Amino acid sequence: MVNKKDMERVEEYCWEIPKSYRSDMRVPARIYADDALLEAALQDRSVEQLINTACLPGVVKYVLAMPDIHQGYGPPIGGVAAMNVEDGVISPGAVGYDINCGVRLLRSNLEATQIKPLMDELMDALYNSVPSGVGRGGDVHLSGRDMDNVLEKGVPWLVSRGYGRAEDATYCEEQGALAGARASAVSPKAKKRGSDQLGTLGAGNHFVEIGEVVEVFDEQAAQRFGVFMGQMVLWIHSGSRGLGHQVCTDYVRALQSAVSKYGIRLPDRELVCAPVDSPEGRDYVAAMACAANYAWGNRQLLMHRAREVMEQVLAPRFGSVGLRLVYDIAHNIAKMEEFTIDGRTVKVVVHRKGATRSFGPGNRALPSEYRDIGQPVLVPGDMGTASYLLVGTTEAAVKSFSSTCHGAGRVMSRHAATRKMHGREVQQQLQEQGIVVRGPWKGLAEEAPYAYKDIDRVVNVVHEAGLARKVARMVPLGVMKG
Amino acid sequence: MKARVEHVEHTADLAFRVFAGSLGELFATTAQAMFQQLADTTAVATTAQRHVAVEAPDRASLLVEWLNELLYLHEIHGEVYTAYAFDELTDQALRATVSGGKPKQVYTIIKGATYHNLSVRQAPEGLVATIVFDV
Repeated sequence: MVNKKDMERVEEYCWEIPKSYRSDMRVPARIYADDALLEAALQDRSVEQLINTACLPGVVKYVLAMPDIHQGYGPPIGGVAAMNVEDGVISPGAVGYDINCGVRLLRSNLEATQIKPLMDELMDALYNSVPSGVGRGGDVHLSGRDMDNVLEKGVPWLVSRGYGRAEDATYCEEQGALAGARASAVSPKAKKRGSDQLGTLGAGNHFVEIGEVVEVFDEQAAQRFGVFMGQMVLWIHSGSRGLGHQVCTDYVRALQSAVSKYGIRLPDRELVCAPVDSPEGRDYVAAMACAANYAWGNRQLLMHRAREVMEQVLAPRFGSVGLRLVYDIAHNIAKMEEFTIDGRTVKVVVHRKGATRSFGPGNRALPSEYRDIGQPVLVPGDMGTASYLLVGTTEAAVKSFSSTCHGAGRVMSRHAATRKMHGREVQQQLQEQGIVVRGPWKGLAEEAPYAYKDIDRVVNVVHEAGLARKVARMVPLGVMKG
Repeated sequence: MKARVEHVEHTADLAFRVFAGSLGELFATTAQAMFQQLADTTAVATTAQRHVAVEAPDRASLLVEWLNELLYLHEIHGEVYTAYAFDELTDQALRATVSGGKPKQVYTIIKGATYHNLSVRQAPEGLVATIVFDV
């Protein structure tokens, strides 16, 4: 097992395990953490999993873990690994089963004080209208051609069909449609699983949350993002549902043979991979892009429904509600990006598994009104705890392949969490804090605040390390879980 | 060896160690344990029979294929399967008929059975498997 003695502190919040630590490491491994978060990371196998990712062919510079790191299956959650596209690999396990699990944040014209007396009504309306939970299909059933359109064209196609506003795509990463998506790379099984799940929340740690902005750290960025002190905001966290899960299953299976074909030795079979520039790699890239577009489409439909419902409740009382998308981020995905490494521009495939892109000012991928400020970075906490809006930095491009944390990170297994407290008690505790909760009890216990790290601590590390800068802090008023 | 399942602590996901006297018992016990995490499997009326046919290069991979196929059937039919009849089960191929129905309550979503820490190995009185699921 790795311990602190094996690491060198390279910056106040950055620790490095040299590649000499293990003979199969191709690059060092870096962990962004304060002392307490590092100790927590050393309690499970997450650091060992990070070291495994440093063994993948074509990996460049170093692999990274964000301060919300915890044990996963393959790479750790909170892991970032970049491979040279010329001679490196792409790994479905390093993206995850929930391809493009991600978050979107909406702003409003309203103050939280206006809507607090209406929270029960609002949360009931959302819970009754937004499809959620296990085994619950959505209201949109996709025909074969419609499915292929969602997979290849994502949010813009859905907007063209009346699900949202023209501006919505502008405020998504990749404008809500990752290039290179090819529907024929997605299996019939995956399409079948996804056929009635578009616009459904899912379960586990997915949620819809109404929040209040309680602290603004950067007035200029907050203004540009349309966020103000005391504002009501809406968070939506969901992913690619059964379609994405099946795409990952299909390609983790398919690439098992590619590993021996290309002579790749792996410390963990879940890190199965193929050269980016190979038929197998290209097929996975195309399928992953489809699943990513499905997830953006999913969050688009969830937002469309949530907006409708909230307008129905609030507009008669307050007039314009003004729910507009601030941004939508992906935190399980692989992206082709360019970085300067040793003075050269290198095109890499950046795998972010439980990590968020953090583009700084000047990046042309950003919407024009954000370009001089940087990318909104959305970091949801656990239910009952704060969430953060941050802004991307140019420093992150140098330090972390423009990556930062994605959330609080677990510290306790689901099994242990349900043994500690019943979901009913968790709901009661949250309600005593003034948070209105809707959701099944088993899920509430698994996702209780005590099962997660301290989000304030996690965000503080990325802020101090320069990976993203705090803009605003928000707290939940109502949470709906699947 | 009496078939049994041990939960292995995992920060984010679901992990089992499964003990069984034979390959068939191992595959059945693992499937049963998976479905018990997913849903209320008590008093499930048998209303459906589904056929499963999978292949893999080795028995550990076959276990993953088996479980992922069951997860697929669960998701598209809304069923859990509580009885398993194997027509063929070798280290590389499986054909089975599984029986089950819609449960009263589904607790969670299991995204997939993974290859992480996967093993099926001989033990003094039978077989032991370790498997991790993404939840």
